[in-house]
Amino acid sequence: MPQSRDIGIRSGTSAPRPSFHLPRLAKEKRRLLIDRMIAVILVIVLWQACSTYFGSIWFSSPWRVLMGFIGELRNGDLVFNAEYTLKAAFYGALLGGVPGALLPFVLRRHPVAGAILDPYLAGGYGVPKLALAPLFILWFGIDLEPKVALVASIVSFLVFFSTNAGVSAVNAQYVNMVRVFGAKERDIARHVVWPGAIPYIFAGFRIAAPYSIGAAVVGELISSNRGLGFMINSGATDFDTTLVFVALVTLTLLVVIINLLVSRAERWLLRWRPPQQGMSARVVGT
Amino acid sequence: MLEVKDLAKRFPPRSSDEEAPWILADLSFHVGEGEFLTMVGPSGAGKSTLLNIIAQVDNATGGEVYFRGQLIETASGAALNPGWNCQIGYVTQDDNLLPWRTLIDNVTFPLKLQGRFDGAAKRRVDELLHATNLAGFERYYPHELSGGMRKRASLIRTLAYDPPIILMDEPFGAVDAQTRTQLQQDLLRLWNLGRKTIVFVTHDIGEAISLGDRVLVLSKSPAKIIAAHSITIKRPRDLGNLYKLEGFGDMFEAVRREIQ
Repeated sequence: MPQSRDIGIRSGTSAPRPSFHLPRLAKEKRRLLIDRMIAVILVIVLWQACSTYFGSIWFSSPWRVLMGFIGELRNGDLVFNAEYTLKAAFYGALLGGVPGALLPFVLRRHPVAGAILDPYLAGGYGVPKLALAPLFILWFGIDLEPKVALVASIVSFLVFFSTNAGVSAVNAQYVNMVRVFGAKERDIARHVVWPGAIPYIFAGFRIAAPYSIGAAVVGELISSNRGLGFMINSGATDFDTTLVFVALVTLTLLVVIINLLVSRAERWLLRWRPPQQGMSARVVGT
Repeated sequence: MLEVKDLAKRFPPRSSDEEAPWILADLSFHVGEGEFLTMVGPSGAGKSTLLNIIAQVDNATGGEVYFRGQLIETASGAALNPGWNCQIGYVTQDDNLLPWRTLIDNVTFPLKLQGRFDGAAKRRVDELLHATNLAGFERYYPHELSGGMRKRASLIRTLAYDPPIILMDEPFGAVDAQTRTQLQQDLLRLWNLGRKTIVFVTHDIGEAISLGDRVLVLSKSPAKIIAAHSITIKRPRDLGNLYKLEGFGDMFEAVRREIQ
């Protein structure tokens, strides 16, 4: 006969709130931290070795990069350029991501339109967006706009396909249930489809985050007089590999911070999910 | 209260050269006001299909359903009206609590959808939570609750908005025996307070006899009603030991033979 843990909880109205978190061993956590530090040190040693072997003209050393980072931070160049890149990435993610997240909800109500659009959306996803950069420059000039367009063109498809998967994965039983409760189509979209799709929307933005920064940088590499992509370009043409590395390190840091923020928001919004699922999402994110 | 006439159902065939089998055929029965009707039949007899049709989640291939004398469903292919304007409640096999809503938000969800969450409704929800020992767990998410608690939450979610008739599809199927007895006892107690009309479908003969005023026995697919029994066991019934209930053993034997 199956025994269940129900019994204990059921009978007690004053049952204490059980702990749902897996026990974390402090020892294991410390071990992981130490292992990670060792990995960082190994990378830095390897980096230094490359720098010594190839010469610091071609391969800047970790120390020079650190100093360069602090210097660029102090004279304001880094903040100025990073802000420009972030702006392009952010506006682009917004401009592409919001329609990308909303379109699946519209198509759910209009399945015929969805069926018509389906092959074109798949085809649009297949277009290598970075190859569109010259066209965007032609259309929108050389300021922020072409970078925003480039980012948006990439993010929109990533978010659309992820959200669409969530919208089609909606639990039909929930839909029937709330219909019996008197829900109209609008209620179903708001109370069943939307909350069910949120994890997928997050997954889309999480995947899109590094792409949006990357696309903004590529836009700047092609034509710009500011931004981290411009920093990389001018560093490379001046044989100033330190500057190139400073920009690269900054980009990496930005992506890591963005991912961290997305995970935080995700964990808060998805606190209704069982911990196992939440954990796996965290592992990917941070 | 509810009358089902010559109901028939088959699903579309898999391929064009093949006839789809009938799931339900010429199924007729009625449910009286305030009656606790149980239906028992073997697994796969089409019990869930029957309730889906009555709740208008699925359409019928033939036959009619009347609610308080009014024709509410035919096989005409007219648009379905799930729950018939919130008049027909439906407690499904799975609890179907929305995982992103806390227990209290799940229980009050139909009331809020229907714009009926006023002071009286709030008090009623409170009573139901206390009656089912769920008070104190209002802010928990479904995954933090035990199976039995989720069943009870799903049950009072429908009781809270008080539809005149409630369909129940093996609501206690997936819980262990002790929890099930407790849930059945809870259900009988709640039913005793309001005497709602209930159609309760199960494959468990003991459950059908111990809960119902009347038991209908369904045949194997295509489902037909092959027998009806009035249960005279007096209420309140103690479900702790079914064989102590007067007349339970004979009734059980009779139904068991009919089902085979």
